[in-house]
Amino acid sequence: MRGNWLTTMGWRHAVGLLAVAFSLIPIVFVVSSALNPLGTLSSTSLLPVHGFTLDNVTELFGGTDFGQWYLNTLVIAGTASVASIFISALAAYAFSRFRFRGRRISLLSLLLIQMFPQFLAIVAIFLIFTQVGEYWPALGFNTWTGLILVYLGGAMGVNTWLMKGFFDTLPKELDESATMDGASHGQIFFRIILPLVTPIIAITGLLAFIGMMNEFIMASVFLTSSSDKTLAVGLTGMVAANNRDAQFGMFCVGTLLTAIPTVGVFMFLQRYIVHGLTGGAVKG
Amino acid sequence: MSTRPPLSGVSGQLVKILVLSVVAALAIWAATPLVHAGAWVGLGVVVAVTALVFYVYLSPRRLPAKYLLPGTLLLITFQILPVLLTITTSVTNYGDGHRGDKADAIAAIQAAAVKEVPGSPRYLLSAAWRGENATDGELVFLLTEPGSGEYLVGDAEGLEPLDPGGLTVDPEGRIVAAEGYTVMTPAEFNAHSERITGFAVPTEDGGIRSTGFDAYEGVSTRTYDESCDCITDSETGDVFVADNENGYFVTETGDRIRQGWQVNVGLDNFTRFFTDPDVRGPFTSIFLWNMMFAVCSVLFTFVLGLLCAMAMNHDRIRGKTLYRVLMVLPYAMPSFAMLLVWRDMFNADYGLLNQLLGLELDWFGETWTSRAAVLLVNTWLGYPYMFLICTGALQALPRDTLEAARIDGATGFQAFRKITLPLLLVALTPLLISSFAFNFNNFNAIQLTSGGHPFPDASPQTGDTDLLITYTFRLAFNGSGVDYGYAAAVSMFIFTIVAVISGISFARTRKQEEVYR
Amino acid sequence: MRTKTATLAVGAALTMALAACGGDAEPQTTDESGIDFQGTLVIWTDEERAESLKPVVQEFADANGIEIEVQGIAENLQDQFVTASEQGEGPDILVQAHDWIGNLVQNGAIEPIPLTEEQQAAMNPDALRAVTYDGQIYGTPYAMENLALIRNTDLAPEAPATIEEMVATGNELKDAGDVEDVLSIEVGKDGNPYNAYPFYASAGGYLFGQDAEGNYDPADLGLAKPEAVDAFEKLAWLGEEGAMKTTMGPEHAIPMFAEGKTAFLVTGPWAMNQIREAGISYDITPIPSFEGGDPATPFIGTQTFFVASKGENKAFAQEFVADFITGADLATKLYESDPRPPVNIEAASAAAESDPDMAKFLAAGEGGYILPAIPEMQAVWEPFGRAHAAVISGDDVEAAVKGAADAIQEAIGA
Repeated sequence: MRGNWLTTMGWRHAVGLLAVAFSLIPIVFVVSSALNPLGTLSSTSLLPVHGFTLDNVTELFGGTDFGQWYLNTLVIAGTASVASIFISALAAYAFSRFRFRGRRISLLSLLLIQMFPQFLAIVAIFLIFTQVGEYWPALGFNTWTGLILVYLGGAMGVNTWLMKGFFDTLPKELDESATMDGASHGQIFFRIILPLVTPIIAITGLLAFIGMMNEFIMASVFLTSSSDKTLAVGLTGMVAANNRDAQFGMFCVGTLLTAIPTVGVFMFLQRYIVHGLTGGAVKG
Repeated sequence: MSTRPPLSGVSGQLVKILVLSVVAALAIWAATPLVHAGAWVGLGVVVAVTALVFYVYLSPRRLPAKYLLPGTLLLITFQILPVLLTITTSVTNYGDGHRGDKADAIAAIQAAAVKEVPGSPRYLLSAAWRGENATDGELVFLLTEPGSGEYLVGDAEGLEPLDPGGLTVDPEGRIVAAEGYTVMTPAEFNAHSERITGFAVPTEDGGIRSTGFDAYEGVSTRTYDESCDCITDSETGDVFVADNENGYFVTETGDRIRQGWQVNVGLDNFTRFFTDPDVRGPFTSIFLWNMMFAVCSVLFTFVLGLLCAMAMNHDRIRGKTLYRVLMVLPYAMPSFAMLLVWRDMFNADYGLLNQLLGLELDWFGETWTSRAAVLLVNTWLGYPYMFLICTGALQALPRDTLEAARIDGATGFQAFRKITLPLLLVALTPLLISSFAFNFNNFNAIQLTSGGHPFPDASPQTGDTDLLITYTFRLAFNGSGVDYGYAAAVSMFIFTIVAVISGISFARTRKQEEVYR
Repeated sequence: MRTKTATLAVGAALTMALAACGGDAEPQTTDESGIDFQGTLVIWTDEERAESLKPVVQEFADANGIEIEVQGIAENLQDQFVTASEQGEGPDILVQAHDWIGNLVQNGAIEPIPLTEEQQAAMNPDALRAVTYDGQIYGTPYAMENLALIRNTDLAPEAPATIEEMVATGNELKDAGDVEDVLSIEVGKDGNPYNAYPFYASAGGYLFGQDAEGNYDPADLGLAKPEAVDAFEKLAWLGEEGAMKTTMGPEHAIPMFAEGKTAFLVTGPWAMNQIREAGISYDITPIPSFEGGDPATPFIGTQTFFVASKGENKAFAQEFVADFITGADLATKLYESDPRPPVNIEAASAAAESDPDMAKFLAAGEGGYILPAIPEMQAVWEPFGRAHAAVISGDDVEAAVKGAADAIQEAIGA
């Protein structure tokens, strides 16, 4: 078995270590900037040589609305990604399981619509939400609800594609036998299909969450008041052209802290990703 | 599946009733302000959408619609509608200097030309309604001239002296109450800003206008005359005639007033794009690099992501969670932040990369090093995404098929190539296409790192690492103002190209989709 | 005429004497002031300015019982302001450098502010000229900024008389291992026209011709003239000498000087907080000129308050911008938060007494070139910067200048 270890396990560790090293280089740099007492980019090297300090952290929380941004982002990205996953799972089921007129063209359109440059759509978004805000102030500019709605507009896009691909791998005999058992389409979806695709739901959820944590263009248009901002908007402001250097340390702390919820969500979802039930269930 | 008990339909019905009641409640909530405002078109839309929702969910048929409706409604409102609105701007000159309509432009021109009458006094201004206890109606200006201590009232007819006996003033001399008028509080004054700032009491030399809570005598040196559709400048005597095709006022000698308006220019933006040699020339080379960038980005991220996913796809590998977390980290960090960090690392003199590797490469200074650099960064950013997807996909593979292959004596690599990869591709092809589409337009990956560098001297507008979208952005935003119309036209063109490519690749997925059917 | 600055105390007790009234009947008087802010004024600015404005404006708002919210917009402030204003979703006030005026005016986003003669007289005339566009005053400037040369007096005790001398000293220090670079000047891979301009001007180049009233003429583009090539040759020389490097971005120039890695720094007053914190001994002088060249005039910029033409609280906004921003009190506070020379003459002379640096910056800006506010200027930045970056990296000067001039002329002509 010893000799076998290299072929079964050794290469896995080798790939893993190389990939991790690749991943970590810039991140180590960010960590070292975050701890750099000088707080500037030019004085930062890969490994901290100026000693350690937590000043950047205190300054970040004391000098900006960082805590508030953090909370806002969690609420907005959390709500929007859960809702968005639900919507795209529904759509993916329809695209995978039903054959209807205009199905493929709709799928293609879903993809294409995502490709339109967003910086051009800003004007239109202003136009729409000025109207919306006039009648329903709760959904207008400077509201989270408005922003979440815009995010949900994109929910059907990439996520549906992703999930549909996986739904397609589930044998249709599954549905057929359930139908014979008298299950309705809704029951098939909620009780049979969904549990089987938990890994992919978890992954798509994570991707959607990350996407929304990072989203910047719409958020900066919607949320202008400092206490309303999301992390992406607040952090970008910190490195806005001229200001870049002075706040680099703070910015790096912010960047690292931003990664925490994502990693947390990933750890939480890991078990669903890893313990996919598919293999066993298909045998029926 | 027969082990599962037959499912009862009662709970489903309950959910349906609950959801539909929420929809009804939302509809009523949405309709109320529309009814108040008399916005009947909006109301019509709300009613129609509500009716559609009820029809789809109550009808025993329309199965796909039941699943597609929520997403589709959101998609239409917040994605398709903005795109359609944007597309309509491609046949206009919408952009800086041509934002509003003609009336806006005329108002702006006249307002910008208001000059204070030399030597005229400043007044303390109180805005008021004519009549006691009025809250609306005829607007008048109650003025105090601090120098002479005169009190005046101005309406649309002109100025008249005011009897000081009926007035109450504050220590500064500003009128706070007047017999026969209802003086506005500052808050009311502010709330009626639009009307007040648009109002002028005609005088011999011009008009008394407000500025803040003061008033001054000003005269607009530019006036619009409808009969000739022109603007006359009283100072210079220039006559600017409206050019309704291009959306601005212009003199015979070609002098233009800056404030123009939005007009329909037909296909001008498209012809400009296709006939301008400066734009057409570099287009092919940008397009080729753009294709290469997108293809390589997808390929590199996919290969690396899949490799990592395969490596970690083993029950007994030690430290698996740690590996996975560390691999996902690049994706968890805010991408714009990391792009900026990478850019700094590539700095030729001060960057970390040259220091670490002992190189003196001017990364973004040479075509191919710059291209390699942006691809490296993009791979770093994107591979965790592919890693996650592939991990999920590997988990979802039917294990019996794999076991069967192993029993058949296939080696690891054969099994991968013959069984695992084809199965993975079923699930992942759509995703690879969408990833291609995303990278084709990956604005940030270029803009925040190489910024399009290097640029040849002769054409400082086209960089060797420019994508079509960064190039369009530069065309649109770096002239003498933002030109949305032109940018929309160019985007439409690019969009068409991407659509065709994606459409063709998509057509090939039909077969794969049916693998399990 | 009441003194506008006195109304700084509006909301608090007004000490102004009652206006004398003629005529037979006398109006009744009340103790309550007629003006009293209510509602919330929204101010948009970029993140950097928001940070220094916020505490000052907040203090002012609290003292006067009004509400003002300063919002920092992270990106595309200009376009977002214009687009939002157009839809009536914009702020009441915008704070930015004056060079946006041309574009804001052509979009009808701001309107002239009729300042009184006294208000105008209280301002630095250069600043007033900067915010005057097509003969109208479009905003109230509160602070000025221009480049100067800061040197580390431990490393370079004497102020260099010429650029050549500065480069020579820098090179000597570098060869001796005392510093890492000849000069700290932010360039970046896209070049930096703002920082290159004094050198370009000293070498005989110009941007736009001016008419008798000082208005810029976009048809007279200095970059298209033969002098521009000569001027860029000088920039190329600076590149050869290692005094200008495209690799030196905003993240390097100031910190390297602050850390003593360079002896000279070309920068504006915004760097002062960082330099003072570093605790090095320094002096501020005007940027020297090339030997036998023209003066190295920097751009003069101003930080300016604009009233949005479609703001919700336009009356309050006009009052705030015209009456309060022009006052010495607020100008002093803004100066304390961000040490850029105040536009208000009274505040500036008060600040100069307590802070010699400020006076030195003002002296360095004398005779400077007011940053053009015409919309055509937007078409200049990128091509000029590209040419700047190209020549200091050793590319062919003539081709670079011609490429830039062509690109600008095409953009302006279109």
